Amino acid sequence: MDLALNDEQQLIVDSAVAFLDKSSTLTQVRSTSETGDGFDRALWQEVAAMGWCGVHLPEAAGGLGLGLVELALLQEQLGRHLACIPFLDSVVLAASLLRTLPGNEQTQALLGSIANGERVLALAMGHPDVDQCLTARANANGAGWVLQGHWPGVGSAQLADALLLPARTALGECLLFLVPADAPSLSLEPLQALDATRRAADVRATDLQLPATACLARGPDLAQAWQRASCLAAIALAAEQMGVAQACLDLTLAYTAQRQQFGKAIASFQAVKHRCAQMLVVLEQARSAVYGAAAMADTDPTTAVLLFHAAQARMEATQAALFCSREAIQLHGGMGFTWEFDPHLFLRRAQLSSQRLAPVSWWCEQVAAQLLDENHALAECLP
Amino acid sequence: MNVQETPAEQQFRAEVRAWMAAHLCGDFESLRGAGGLGAPGYDAALAKRWEQQMAAGRWTGLGWPQAHGGRDLPLGQQIVFHEEYVRCGGPGRLGHIGETLLAPTLMAHGTPEQQQRFLPGILAGTTYWAQGYSEPGAGSDLAAVRTRARLDPVSGEWIVDGQKVWTSWAHESDWIFVLARCEPDSTRHKGLVLLLMPLRQSGVTLRPIKQITGGSEFNEVFFDGARTEGSLHLGAPGQGWAVAMYLLACERGASTLGQQAHFRAELDSVLALARANGAARDPLLRQRIAQAALGLQTLRDHALRVSGAPTDVRAASIAKYAWSNWRRNLGELAMDVLGSAAESVSADPLRQSLHQLWLSSRADTIYAGTNEIQLNVMAERALGMPR
Repeated sequence: MDLALNDEQQLIVDSAVAFLDKSSTLTQVRSTSETGDGFDRALWQEVAAMGWCGVHLPEAAGGLGLGLVELALLQEQLGRHLACIPFLDSVVLAASLLRTLPGNEQTQALLGSIANGERVLALAMGHPDVDQCLTARANANGAGWVLQGHWPGVGSAQLADALLLPARTALGECLLFLVPADAPSLSLEPLQALDATRRAADVRATDLQLPATACLARGPDLAQAWQRASCLAAIALAAEQMGVAQACLDLTLAYTAQRQQFGKAIASFQAVKHRCAQMLVVLEQARSAVYGAAAMADTDPTTAVLLFHAAQARMEATQAALFCSREAIQLHGGMGFTWEFDPHLFLRRAQLSSQRLAPVSWWCEQVAAQLLDENHALAECLP
Repeated sequence: MNVQETPAEQQFRAEVRAWMAAHLCGDFESLRGAGGLGAPGYDAALAKRWEQQMAAGRWTGLGWPQAHGGRDLPLGQQIVFHEEYVRCGGPGRLGHIGETLLAPTLMAHGTPEQQQRFLPGILAGTTYWAQGYSEPGAGSDLAAVRTRARLDPVSGEWIVDGQKVWTSWAHESDWIFVLARCEPDSTRHKGLVLLLMPLRQSGVTLRPIKQITGGSEFNEVFFDGARTEGSLHLGAPGQGWAVAMYLLACERGASTLGQQAHFRAELDSVLALARANGAARDPLLRQRIAQAALGLQTLRDHALRVSGAPTDVRAASIAKYAWSNWRRNLGELAMDVLGSAAESVSADPLRQSLHQLWLSSRADTIYAGTNEIQLNVMAERALGMPR
């Protein structure tokens, strides 16, 4: 047992840092997010060319065949740089669900097109509990289906080539549909995002006719895959949050080292030092939790164990991102309140991420239920 | 990176379990699940015999190099040992200061004669050590120590005068390592020596300190012409600070793994109580209980991540700050789970142990460097912020 990075993993980190420091500067991030559609396509091309979009996918699906640990290492750096690409939605969320479903040629082909970056998929996974995402109805129509309803705030929907949309039948069965983004009867209403580096849209279907092949999965298969995929995605999201926390600490250390008051750098004041040290503690704890959870996920544990570790990563990383981004603004003083300085970009991302895939309180309640109510199953996996 | 137990670790776990089952019985039965010194009803004499039994089974010095009689086990197996030891009801360990603080320092800074003289007694559980660092005027500011040491030209011995405080378990120890000023006009980090000194002698007086727990793990130690042999300085006289700091990094780092294994047992007792008394239905307590369980997993993951650098002062400070605050929060949670039953002291062992947890955890963020000192260390030495 050990959770130190091996040489290959360290190499992934080093090359990701070197690449993103050059190709996704905060100046570029501001330019992409404030003017364009929020999608740095040149960056996406390069990322895809390096194989990042398939880092965790099997080689048979065109991926690199590595694990969630390696995906988390990339996510950490993408979060740290606020990279304006739909990596979380397509590579993390959509691919995690597709690969967890019982495989067939169709899902395999979809995974291949995600892995090489050719297609961007957006999955309407607002919550780890699939029942909470079944806001639309699917009615059988001959051999095919008719979709009716809406999916609020679907991440990267307006950037995607295709959408993965869950719906329920009149009998309550859940289904997952693949819908081309340009399908008639599908409307996308982009939201004005609080965090402009992340895009989302309200998606509506009005009598949307789909062939039978558009239904990728249904019933218990889908519900189980949804739960596991949401845990895997939560760990990768936590890695991104940890990167946000790291960026906030970096920014704050640089600023407090050069900002002079009372005749010296404010970094020399104990009130400032202690806050930075506390940022370091929550960040390093989050890093340990994310690496541990990702390494555990790569051992293909039971869903209960996976959920415990996903909750752990989410709890530690959410706390780290929120704490560090808030402290970054405070320790930048008045400058931290200006649009020109960068801390608010991370505050926005930290807040947004804290609510994605359910808030920490939901994850904690799942863990509490298993520790306190249900045969104490999780007590077995406590350290 | 590998979070699963290796076959060697699994086999080792089975070995620990089998040995504990065969030996934690008979005379030692009453030690099962016992806390450490300071816990109510702790039988120190029996606990020392237990340590000797452990030594005979080669369960001491697990991380020590083989050249010094240890087993040189990787950290993963050491963690497995501590976890399984607690799971099997193993009592609080007595030899911690000697085995995990002094011994590594002796190996790094001691002379071969000192190593040959002192390591075997630590390994065998026959010699117990106390730590003579803090003084009334030198707590967080350790470099302010005023205890004096001088070489007696007649006898060739070191003679020590002064006072130490917060000296854990001195009343059950045989020897003490003492940080003292050996150059009369020196100040701060210069002119210090770390001496190895027998505790049971006429020049040494102990006075126990009654703690908020009601027990007395801590002592005041008075030196009045106390003596030790002229060769028993650890490192060169005048260079004691560096040696003392090496030992501190051991104290804040890997040495606490054994202690952390007990956290699981403490969390379990809070969980069991919450299920039994209905606190498990309170939504806010449910959140805090989940946070405690998840936080414990993070402490373990953190230990596994930084294991390659057990004496790295930065990693050690982060770990110490994290675990001590985690346990202090657990103590507060335990009291809230107890609810109004916490108001009265009782003979009920569970309630007693939770009261102990709550009170004793207030010391965790103070000893071995307060929260505030750890934050200073992290800011200046891990983040490179200016003094």
